[in-house]
This record gives sequence, C-alpha cells and structure tokens, in this order.
Amino acid sequence: MVQVSQDFAPPFKLIAPYFIIGAIFFLLSTFIPLSINLENLHYMDSSILAWTHILLLGFVMMIIFGAMAQLIPVTLEVGHFSVEFYYIIWPLLLIGTILMSLGFFFYSALLPYGGTIVLISMFIFLAEVFLTIKKVEKFNNVIKSLIVSNVFLFLGVIVGIVLALTYAGAISADITLLLKAHVFAVVAGYICITLMALSLVLLPMFGLSHNFSQKPMNLAVIIMTIAVSLVFLSGVFNLASLDYLGYILSMISLGLFIYEVYLIYKTRARKEIDIYVKSLFVSFGSLFLAIFLTIAYFITYYQPLILTIGWLMFMGFFAFIISGHIYKIVPFLVWFEKFSPLVGKQKVPMLADMLPDTASKFQFWFSLAGLVLSTLGLLFTSNDLFKAGASFFIIGAIFLFKNLIYMIRYE
Amino acid sequence: MYTKEEIFKAVSTVKDPEVGFNLVEMGLIYDGICNEEGDVKVIMTLSTKACPLHQMIVQWVEEAVLRELPNAQNAEAEVVWEPAWNITMADEHVMKALSGN
Repeated sequence: MVQVSQDFAPPFKLIAPYFIIGAIFFLLSTFIPLSINLENLHYMDSSILAWTHILLLGFVMMIIFGAMAQLIPVTLEVGHFSVEFYYIIWPLLLIGTILMSLGFFFYSALLPYGGTIVLISMFIFLAEVFLTIKKVEKFNNVIKSLIVSNVFLFLGVIVGIVLALTYAGAISADITLLLKAHVFAVVAGYICITLMALSLVLLPMFGLSHNFSQKPMNLAVIIMTIAVSLVFLSGVFNLASLDYLGYILSMISLGLFIYEVYLIYKTRARKEIDIYVKSLFVSFGSLFLAIFLTIAYFITYYQPLILTIGWLMFMGFFAFIISGHIYKIVPFLVWFEKFSPLVGKQKVPMLADMLPDTASKFQFWFSLAGLVLSTLGLLFTSNDLFKAGASFFIIGAIFLFKNLIYMIRYE
Repeated sequence: MYTKEEIFKAVSTVKDPEVGFNLVEMGLIYDGICNEEGDVKVIMTLSTKACPLHQMIVQWVEEAVLRELPNAQNAEAEVVWEPAWNITMADEHVMKALSGN
C-alpha cells in the first residue's frame, strides 16, 4: 500500500466550485419539469434534452469530476498527473453546459459551440485521468473499471459532438441511432461503471464492511462493458439485432451491482441509519424499480414507462446517491482543509458535527416526496401529480444547496 | 522506557474523525514498543486501505507519542495490513455504539 500523501489531496478551493455549481444546476433542473406537459411528451423533446443535459452535465458530471479530484489519488494510490487541470475543467464544463441548455431551449445553432466546449473540458479531464493512471504500477479491479468507464466517456463525448452538429443542422446523421450510442456510452458506460467502481471503495469505507465477496461487482462491470459495447456498436453501425442483448445484459449487470451493495450492507459494522444510508436506500431502491419497470416495458410496451425509467435513474438513482455522498465527502474535505492541521493542538469537530441535522432531513424527505409523486405522475401521465412532485423536488434542492453552503462555511 | 500500556494511553488521544472513537478503542493499534534510547514504535492498522487520511493518522500517532510521552526521543508508526482489521477488534462499547445497541 502506497501512502497517500497530503500533497495528493487537492486544495478545497479547487474542488468547492464543482460542488456549488453542481448543486445550483440540480436546483435549476428541478424547475424545468414545471413547464413540461406530459400528454405530448417524447424523450426527444428539446425540453427533455435540455433538462437531461442540465442534470447530467451540470449536476452529475460536475460533482463526479469534483469528487474524482479527491478520490483518484485515494483509489489509484498515486498523485494526480497535474491537479491544476481541475481549475480549468469546471469553467469550461459550466460554459459548455449553459450554451448547450440554451441551444436545446431556444437556439439550436448554439449546440455545436456548447458541445465543443464540453468536449474540450472532458478531454482535459480524460487526459488528466489517463496520465495519472499511467503512473499506476499495480492495477486492481477498481482501477480497471475506471479505465473502462473513461474510455466510454471518450466515445460518448465524440458521438455527442456529432449529435450536436447534426441537431444544429451542420451535418446529416441518424439522430435516433447515435443518441442510443451516446446515452449508453455516457450514462451506462461512464456514470454507471464509475459509480460501481467507486461504490466498491466508498460503501465499505463508510460502512466499515469487511470480508464480503467482490465477485458480483467484478462480473457486473464486465457484463456492463459488453452491454455498452453492443449498444454502442449497434448505434454507430446500425446493427439493431445487438440492441436487445445489450439491454438485457445491462439489466443483469445492474442487478449484480445491487446484489453487491446488499453484500456490503450486510457485512457493515456501522448500523446507524443516517442521512447517507437513507439516501442510498432511496438510490438503490430507485435503481431496483427502474430495472423492474424495464422488464415490464419489454412485456407491455406501455410508453410512459420509458420516461418513468429515465426519471427513476436520474432523479432517483443518480440524484440520491450523489446527494448522500455530498453529506460524506464535503464535510471530510472541509474538515481536512480547516481542522486536520489543528489535531492535537485544540479540540476539533467530528465529521458528523458538521452536518446540518434538521435541514438534511428536510432535504431528504422533500426530495423523497418529490420522487414518489413525480414518478407516479409520469407513470399515470398525470400532470398534476408530476408537477406536485417537481415542486417538492425544488424545495429539496434548495435545502441541498443551503446544506452544502452550511458545510463549506463551517467554522 | 515506556510500557505498551503507556504508549497505548498516549495514542488514545488520537480520534478517528469519521466515527468519533479513538484509535485504541477502535482496535487499530496492534502494538507499542519502546527501546532503552526512548525510540517508540507503534504498530497499527487502518479500518480500510482506501482511507484518505492514511498519512495524516500516522502523523497524528507519532505526534501524540512525542507529545504525551516526554522522554520519547523518536516516534514511528508503522501501518500493517496483517492481520486485517475487523470490528470484533474494537472495544465492546464501540461495537455497541456502531451497531446502534
């Protein structure tokens, strides 16, 4: 085990913008559903595409990238190639996301510009990750998973820029086919595999879990890699016969992921059900429900299920797993910066002391109510239920932002 | 020369900021040795290999030894992974607190 030097940990001022901007984009993303009419809604609608990019680029990617600045040295056991790269990744991702969102909402000619800036931002991120990985001497399964996920991000972003050019009318390509490749490469290939890899590090660390088998997770990553490759090839080369196999394999992979999480949960020493664990319950519960509804879709072909599954994945699985980890990662980073130099010299707070207890509960319950109501709204095509759920989500997102600022400013 | 108990008492001033218990009651300190010159060596582990505070905790242990044991000349904390730590190594009250009993 190589000791992770304090020098490997980036300064908090470098990481803080990722979390703050991420929380702002999450808040923005919760307002968009209020303007959506479910009766005529299709997943290719520009409002849906705008919402998806605000949520995934502005919130999910922004926070994953910020967390990676801190987690890469811990996971890879080597220092960053150049942590300074992270000072330019977030401004570019911010500008690119804003331009893309405006492009989807108002003026599609902005899409290639926004897409190109996002592309540059992600290429810088990928270059930093791969140059850091180059320093690794011993590859474990977590590192291998991160390599695979970042390769998919690379491919997904390339297809994304082709899509942006097509959407803006600059070139001609089959949007439906490429969209499938783009979504699978980025969402299943990058986000899901990254979450799988990091879960194998973070969940046992926070739960003090030991002596659990890692085989289900390793298998899950391999199966997801095959699944994403199949759907990606199908999308790029128009090989529709590969799609269903890819979809089935991805469901099996996510099922194995949930099983691994269950094994980690079962062997944990810390049994307290805090805001972190509650958020994970909702996150993995949403993932389980999304898998179940996907199977239901292939039996019934009930169209509202497609948007419901996407909603559960984004606002249930991704949003809750990220918000739960915000309550663990941000206090640690702030504590590390402000209080770790004072250990042994004066009394310092524990990480749990830095959490706004009541406000974090409000955030959780409002968001959960929002998720339940909006999911039912989507499932039964009820605008009223969906918008009621979105309203609860807005309040939850306001609390998340407020709590984040509270933790960052903790003295 | 300091005894193992004295070394453990010195190290018990270091707390894990995540769980709120000190390293000794967590069962993370395996051994404490002091030679005639006053060189203290602490054999310890961490609850996970991925601990982001790895080097800081080592530093806190070494500082605690030098701070709490005035005649200690040098302090070295060595992190080992065998035997691997598990919760049964912690004191009973820690186990109870973590399990919510």
